Amino acid sequence: MEKLNSTIHSALSTVLVKKLTKNCINTIADFLQEDVEKISKITKLDVVCILDIRDIIFKKYSAPSIAGTTLRTKYLTEKRYLETGIKRLDTILNGGIPIGFLTEVCGLAGSGKSQLCMQLAINSAKPSNSVIYIDTKGDFSAVRIQKILEAHGLSHKEMAIIMLNINIVQIFSMNDLISLLESIKTKKIVFDCLSLVILDSLPCLMFQHFGDNNKIGLKFLNMFVNLARCISNEFRTCFICVNIETRWVDQEQVPDLDDEDDNFGEPAYFEIKNRCLGKYWRHIPVQVLSLQRAFESETKNCININVIAENYNNPCSKLQCPISINYSGVF
Amino acid sequence: MTTQFKILNATEFWQKENSFPAIPTFSQSLDNVLGNKGIQVGSITELLGLPGSGKTQLCLQLCASVQIPTELGGLDAEALYIDTNTNFTVNRFKEILSASMEKCGNILNTAKSNCESDHLKRLHYVNAFGLEKFCSLIFTLPQLVTERPNVRLIIIDSITFPFKDGITLKQRTGVLFRLSAVLQKISVENQIAIVITNEMSTRIGLSTGSLVGAFGDAWAHRCNKRVLLSAPKPLENERFAALVKSNNSPEAVGKFQITIEGIRDTNG
Repeated sequence: MEKLNSTIHSALSTVLVKKLTKNCINTIADFLQEDVEKISKITKLDVVCILDIRDIIFKKYSAPSIAGTTLRTKYLTEKRYLETGIKRLDTILNGGIPIGFLTEVCGLAGSGKSQLCMQLAINSAKPSNSVIYIDTKGDFSAVRIQKILEAHGLSHKEMAIIMLNINIVQIFSMNDLISLLESIKTKKIVFDCLSLVILDSLPCLMFQHFGDNNKIGLKFLNMFVNLARCISNEFRTCFICVNIETRWVDQEQVPDLDDEDDNFGEPAYFEIKNRCLGKYWRHIPVQVLSLQRAFESETKNCININVIAENYNNPCSKLQCPISINYSGVF
Repeated sequence: MTTQFKILNATEFWQKENSFPAIPTFSQSLDNVLGNKGIQVGSITELLGLPGSGKTQLCLQLCASVQIPTELGGLDAEALYIDTNTNFTVNRFKEILSASMEKCGNILNTAKSNCESDHLKRLHYVNAFGLEKFCSLIFTLPQLVTERPNVRLIIIDSITFPFKDGITLKQRTGVLFRLSAVLQKISVENQIAIVITNEMSTRIGLSTGSLVGAFGDAWAHRCNKRVLLSAPKPLENERFAALVKSNNSPEAVGKFQITIEGIRDTNG
């Protein structure tokens, strides 16, 4: 909660703030809850002035209501999607990654999540756009980035322009992640024209709190979600989180239909896929991209991947498309 | 910007990454599979394989390779071997070490310069049996590494063993990820290569085949590189190494053999 200070109103001098603090009125919330006459007695300001201060606080801190038409114009004029630069992906995403929201990239180990993220970083790093890549498991490889750019025939200068706009931070704990996001939010760390934040990967940090019999992990996750939403909304950026998928196998006895003796046939195995990070996280991202490795690739030196895009604003649509990875990147 | 966070742009990162040396395996085919001319410092590599596929042998070879003198492009550094399963035999290591050093000596045209004990001194061996010992060792590693700044390779053989008993699945995941965060941090900050060996386990009913690395799907994400070793014809002494996951090199398969001198390319 924010503390009282003299910048709120000209009548509220530092001396008066000190006086209020002595009377256990420390924060803005304390100030608003306290009886106006009592405050007037302490500060020796008249009631009108106190009411004026209250009004200013309300104006500054309360959530304003916005008219529908304003929202509509905002919706129409603002850029809503960041193109991924991968045509097939843009088509199923309805134009690109949603700006101002959290997007999840999910898949099994080795399904190409980090590769896709690196490609997205390349495609959206332009002189007018910068990218932050938050690396929690050391998977970011600038050599790989450079090789991709080289394969596309870029000159050294062009490569440098793109690479200068990709910023990498290595983070090893949830605590560090939260303080990093906080300093971005409070503009202690400033990036010019931030357009994309990539967090690869969230479970690597969250799993460190797995198995503790307390809710610290959940608390961190909640703080992270709030900060991430705030940053993506305020700076109009895309926020991509990498999540992982685990599988477990269920066994079920299926009755054999041909057999009249009601005997049970061979046990059948069901593979169930599960997005990690629990039920709380399930509805946080607006857009989920699940990557799935295609079993057979037709061409050599190339990995084919199926992407399924699910949007929680439009739960009926579940589109999929194939993408490929080779030495020259994801396309 | 003065913050606790080190923010690099990709060009700076590229320079840093390119300055990272690699530890050769003495088999060119295997080095090619790993990319970057061997095991790269600054990242965690996981070796997977059934018993007898050559995981420990490869680890011993790496402990010798890390001592290659700088004249030959080596690291001229020390290794830390964390043994959780009494896999380590000093005699076998001595064999591999002296063969490797002799090879280096031949190339450099120098007579056997250092005596064997000098080379042997540059291997630090820790046996960490049991989960408590293992965990406390890993958590004190940052200090151990600052005390011995010449250590550039840490081998954990095997990561599976301490977790066999006495821990719930959930706790295991938590502890594993905490330990690997510590490992990753020291590997990045001190430019150390970390090699972990893992066993295989069976999961019936999986669509991608029932033989998978131990610790499940979540752990499979953690390491930067995963190499699967296999010995389809153990009598012919031909081993295969397949890169199943990597952050910067394409997936590939290579061949090597295990000789008395250590890991070598196959003949022909």
